Amino acid sequence: MMSIVSSRYDIARFGMERFSSSPRQADLLIVSGRVTHKMAPPLRQVYDQMLEPKWVIAMGACASSGGMFSNYTTLQGVDKIVPVDVHVPGCPPRPEALIEGIVRLHEKIRAGVPPAYQLRGVAE
Amino acid sequence: MAVFTGTRIYEGSRIPSPVPTILEVDPERHSLDDILRINFGPNHPSTHGVLRLIVDLDGETVAGIRAVIGYLHTGFEKSMEQKSWWKSVTYPARIDYLSFHAHELLYVLAIEKLLGLEVPRRATWARMALAELNRIHSHLVWLGTSALELGAISLFWYAFDDRDQILDLFEMAGGTRMHTRYVQVGGLAEDLPPAFTSEARAFCEAFPRSVDEYEALLDRNAIWLERTKGVGLLSAEDALALAQSGPMLRASGVSWDLRRNMPYLAYDEVDFEVPVYPEGDVYARYKVHMDEMRQSVRIVRQCLDRIEETEGEPWIADDRKVVLPPRHELHTSMETLIHHFKLVTEGFTVPEGEVYVAIESPRGEAGCTLVSDGGTRPWRVKFRPPSLAALQATATVAQNCLVADLIAVAASLDPVMGDVDR
Amino acid sequence: MTYAGVPGLVEMREAYGETTLVVDPARLVEACLHLRDVEGFNVLVDIAATDYLGWGEPGVAGHYGTASGRDLNEPGSQGHARVPEPKPERFAVSYQLLRVGEEPARVRVQVWVADGEPVPSVISVWPSADWYEREQWDLLGIRFEGHPNLVRLLMPEDWEGHPLRKDYPIGGEPVRFSDEE
Repeated sequence: MMSIVSSRYDIARFGMERFSSSPRQADLLIVSGRVTHKMAPPLRQVYDQMLEPKWVIAMGACASSGGMFSNYTTLQGVDKIVPVDVHVPGCPPRPEALIEGIVRLHEKIRAGVPPAYQLRGVAE
Repeated sequence: MAVFTGTRIYEGSRIPSPVPTILEVDPERHSLDDILRINFGPNHPSTHGVLRLIVDLDGETVAGIRAVIGYLHTGFEKSMEQKSWWKSVTYPARIDYLSFHAHELLYVLAIEKLLGLEVPRRATWARMALAELNRIHSHLVWLGTSALELGAISLFWYAFDDRDQILDLFEMAGGTRMHTRYVQVGGLAEDLPPAFTSEARAFCEAFPRSVDEYEALLDRNAIWLERTKGVGLLSAEDALALAQSGPMLRASGVSWDLRRNMPYLAYDEVDFEVPVYPEGDVYARYKVHMDEMRQSVRIVRQCLDRIEETEGEPWIADDRKVVLPPRHELHTSMETLIHHFKLVTEGFTVPEGEVYVAIESPRGEAGCTLVSDGGTRPWRVKFRPPSLAALQATATVAQNCLVADLIAVAASLDPVMGDVDR
Repeated sequence: MTYAGVPGLVEMREAYGETTLVVDPARLVEACLHLRDVEGFNVLVDIAATDYLGWGEPGVAGHYGTASGRDLNEPGSQGHARVPEPKPERFAVSYQLLRVGEEPARVRVQVWVADGEPVPSVISVWPSADWYEREQWDLLGIRFEGHPNLVRLLMPEDWEGHPLRKDYPIGGEPVRFSDEE
């Protein structure tokens, strides 16, 4: 994810270079990497602090489904605690893959698809 | 060079007691009514990943600090016990996700030590070249993110541009930018592509000038000096008592580098210097990182020479009980077919025993304790994370700091939370 | 290198170029002080504890297939020739020591304890033992006596059980296929 901000992959072309330090000023939450049971409450707290409308991208196989870590401590997919709009596969995803995920999210929004929290809750 | 340079950074020991990793508020220096306890993280833009620091502040001064970790504990060690030796090699790279070749190499070296397998020369030189390129990569990410946190924001883009060039080299060799799983038990998974040496050489020609540019931006910058000189002191005795290694130890005046003092692979056959700085502050650690990048370029150049010399030699060991045979032989030889079948379905077995292997990863001594029961799966894998040792020093290093200095100190410890929590 | 002067030494083993000193748990702190002050091992690099429950039995994690022990160097045996020797106790705690100085050296100190038996803490010898011991308490349930802050390090504070023990399940969730109901 740090690479997309770098000069080669330049997410600023798509207007997404401003990483906000505070969830209260952010529209998009990118959950990158594995989420553990210990980290799940802070993650949910950050999601709750965002103002609506808000979107979530699950970046990577570990955020989407638990990835190769099917064990006692890794959340098997971050969509168990936050509703996810776009899942980006890969371990780790290439910068181009993440940019594709963000661009697809832009297209979804332009096409009028509501954010995920209006469509579904969290997974069982 | 002698191991101990003998400079005294401060008298005595600053390790807190009774608990070495918790700095309690001293009631004689700070009135307990003025203390504000705040929480840094786990989700914070300036801590390196999911690190949580509970800081007791008296105004702007840090009066007490403790670190809470475990937010990225992914259960690597238990997961690896469930997988066969071959499949478990995919896991270690993701522990320290910035120096992935180092941990892959570490685990594979441990398996090869138990097996008693000899690796061909070409593979050894290629592994060394990739490990040193990985060191440069890791230090560039450290430099970019640390400078970003301390306010020198533009350095982030310069450092990451060079980092992308290194990732291109890794992609050329291993097929993907990160977590290549290119290091294999017995050697490398595939031979290096023909253009690798020329591209890597082109990088090595251009890179030292980049390091000079970074130093020109930071070395005599008044704000950088003000924020890093004299901040985060750690003496040599305290560093050894807290099991520091790598840049943390070398910036405190101890000339200790596993590549020089306890060589592995072929590090005793290449020329390089080990940078040591006696001041023990954040500035010294920064200088150690910059000099290490230059020395790594030197090592890579020498490895590339040897890789070119060993052109056409095998890149993986020939032991058919452990290494997959070449595919073209499967058409003609029955034993090859049987070996291939057994290796793919059941996997190879590793003799019973317990070993400890350590390498010099970009963050310090990374070690792996491997216990095998003679079967096809590891019995116990324990990784010794250099970042955990570095974080144990937080309470010692962050004394007499202001809040802003805490950011500089945490950045100089160079923790990667995947490595700390595993 | 002779380690005959180490107090509480039960056995000294050499394998794969490494020296392992098996020490009586009751005299562990004495042995560590001797190694630090007399032999010069000034760095405690790592503490790695291992759970040997089910060692040598077929069908337990670590074994695969029908053999109850494989000897790689016994060709044609198909692995039935050798069973690993049973271990003295359930848990082994290995302390990896390093001498940083003019003559670098490594040594491993090992103690064997049963389930529930505490091990004296070496935090007074090397402060770096703090988080190492906490991690082994957290993941394997080995209690270190004399540790001033023995709480969980990696798992959440209210977690029950010690995950890296062999009788603790791997967890996760089973894979559901799309044509299942």
